[in-house]
Amino acid sequence: MEAQFLAGSGLDAYRAADTGARMSNHGTAMCRVALTAGADVYAKAGAMVAYDGFLQYEPVPQSFRRALGEWASGERSPLLQWTGDGALYLADMGADVLNLQLADESLSVNGSHLLAMDATLGCTVEKVRGAALLAGTGLYNVTVSGTGWVSVTSRGVPVVLDCAEAETYVDPDALVAWTTGLEVRTRRTVKVGSLIGRGSGEAMQLGFRGSGFVVVQPSEDTADRFKIRG
Amino acid sequence: MSRELAKASRVRISELTASTELYLGVHIAAPGLTFDISCFGLDADERLSDDRYFVFFNQPASPEQSIRLLGAQEGDSEAFAVVLPAVPDAVHKLALTATIDGDGQMSQVAAGHVRIVAGGTEVGRYSFTGAEFSTERAVMLADVYRRGGEWRFAAVGQGFDGGLRALLENFGGEVLDEEQPAPEAALAPVPQQAAAPRPVAAPAAPPVQQPYPDATLPAVPVPPAVPAQQPYPDATLLAVPVPPAAPAPGAAPAGVRISLTKYTELPESPGWVKQNDHLVRISLTKGQDILALQGSMVAYQGKADFAHEGSGMLRKLVGNLTGQQLKLMRITGEGQVFLADEACDLHVVRLEGDSFCVGSDRVLAFEAGLEHEVRRIEGEGLPHGGFFTLQFSGHGTVVVKTNGIPVVLPVTPAPETYVDVQALVAWSRGSQVITTAPVRIRRSAYAGHAAESYSLQFRGAPGNFVVVQPFEV
Repeated sequence: MEAQFLAGSGLDAYRAADTGARMSNHGTAMCRVALTAGADVYAKAGAMVAYDGFLQYEPVPQSFRRALGEWASGERSPLLQWTGDGALYLADMGADVLNLQLADESLSVNGSHLLAMDATLGCTVEKVRGAALLAGTGLYNVTVSGTGWVSVTSRGVPVVLDCAEAETYVDPDALVAWTTGLEVRTRRTVKVGSLIGRGSGEAMQLGFRGSGFVVVQPSEDTADRFKIRG
Repeated sequence: MSRELAKASRVRISELTASTELYLGVHIAAPGLTFDISCFGLDADERLSDDRYFVFFNQPASPEQSIRLLGAQEGDSEAFAVVLPAVPDAVHKLALTATIDGDGQMSQVAAGHVRIVAGGTEVGRYSFTGAEFSTERAVMLADVYRRGGEWRFAAVGQGFDGGLRALLENFGGEVLDEEQPAPEAALAPVPQQAAAPRPVAAPAAPPVQQPYPDATLPAVPVPPAVPAQQPYPDATLLAVPVPPAAPAPGAAPAGVRISLTKYTELPESPGWVKQNDHLVRISLTKGQDILALQGSMVAYQGKADFAHEGSGMLRKLVGNLTGQQLKLMRITGEGQVFLADEACDLHVVRLEGDSFCVGSDRVLAFEAGLEHEVRRIEGEGLPHGGFFTLQFSGHGTVVVKTNGIPVVLPVTPAPETYVDVQALVAWSRGSQVITTAPVRIRRSAYAGHAAESYSLQFRGAPGNFVVVQPFEV
């Protein structure tokens, strides 16, 4: 009955499909995580839109919270640990989802862009200091390292820029992720003129140089949308 | 509606038709001659780097069916169906050619044409006669090519001395000896020839096997040998894509770089390039400044400088009206700048002597050399009593942003087009905007409709248009 109903409707094309990968895209804005017992995943709190199977979630364990440091010191944990057998669907307000497979690599992700990560990955958090703090970014950088999957969000279709060919300057509000090992510095393009209220709107950029790349989103909005919703 | 295109003329296909599904008809009237008409899908270097995009009688379609040979049609001796958006990015030019099969020369041609048909109506035609040629045995008729993100049509009409083989060598690049084009041509028909007879052979095999026992025993192993040989070419063909596919799902993790392949930067090219739907890349050159919305830069490489732009002509805009400000910055220097705004869909519009108006809040960037003028559309009942538009004219590029995929509506004199002022993006200058009271048709269109909505009326000569986005700001 349901199958008949679906077959005739336009929704048929959107059936859930098992891709066999640990993390895969369902459309552009939804991440499907295939969970099995013993292979837990940490997902952004509030990002679950659906799940299928025997899944349970709890705040990240105390030991991991220590690694997250200040980020997790608030009244709610920024990440939830999902365990069980089944499929978990994650999304963040329609943002594009990128599923990345790390092969003994490490990647720095703007905290508000981290959607999910394998629990086996190492994770360190540092509070953004200095000028970048003024830029109003997600305040926390999460460095994920090891071998496994990580899912990040981007508002709009991103671009990956190679920093080896030329030093790359990125608006901090548009920064999604970057490979570690890059030389990062801030560059100010503030002019005397802008001190009297005539700025170009581009006061400060982060400069990246070295062998690696940065992921840049086509939007200057990195506000953590779940914070608004509470 | 059909436009006559002279030899060597070039035209944007969007000027001829809004459709991107084209029918290209070729007709050559030459008593006693037969022609092979083919379409070469060439790369940026005008080379046939992928011979699957050589569409001709033995290979009637490209792999994703974006270019298809239709055969003789009414009025055309050969025709192609081309779906432009489906043509892979690597293919930059579709070259239509005709070569004489057998003896003869192009001067024997009585008359011929290449015509573009979209949606059942002919929109463009390039006609030629044999008098334009002499002893050539082939002719490059016309090109459909990419230029700055748009498809254009060029009426070429260039004779070529050699035949089909020489044409192949001309486009093939690496093809040095004459044998190589032949395997290329020979390889292509294999899938079809193999595909066609195989279903025939399969049903044929069982009845053939039945009579065999009556005949001699040695004949029995022969039939299995024949189908066994047939799958082999197929298997070897399949084997080619398998090796690259095999490592991908393999056990070794792919790595971040590979996961992100589809988002890599486009190869370097001058000018304004759409990196993806939401990002535009501008390669800066000295002396060609860019005016862009303040804060729209997301990344850059090289030496770029961003300065406040507060010229007098925009003072009106930055004026006293709230919510109507267009704050611009001037980008100078050298390097590559990526512009975006709130993940809006971006559209790179190239003006070549045309003129059009864009709502001031829908402009992302434009070349400083472009003539631009601030206009105010006023009307009773409009929010804030009116709104600002920028009118661009001259030669240059404008980037327009829309929320969602817009629709381009034709504007005609008789039935007027009505557009919600909040969904309006841009219109051609020839469209007349009417803001008189009777067009206020959507006020309180539904219950609880607090905000006033206001429709603008557009009227103009055929050929004008208005762009509307699926989003009411």
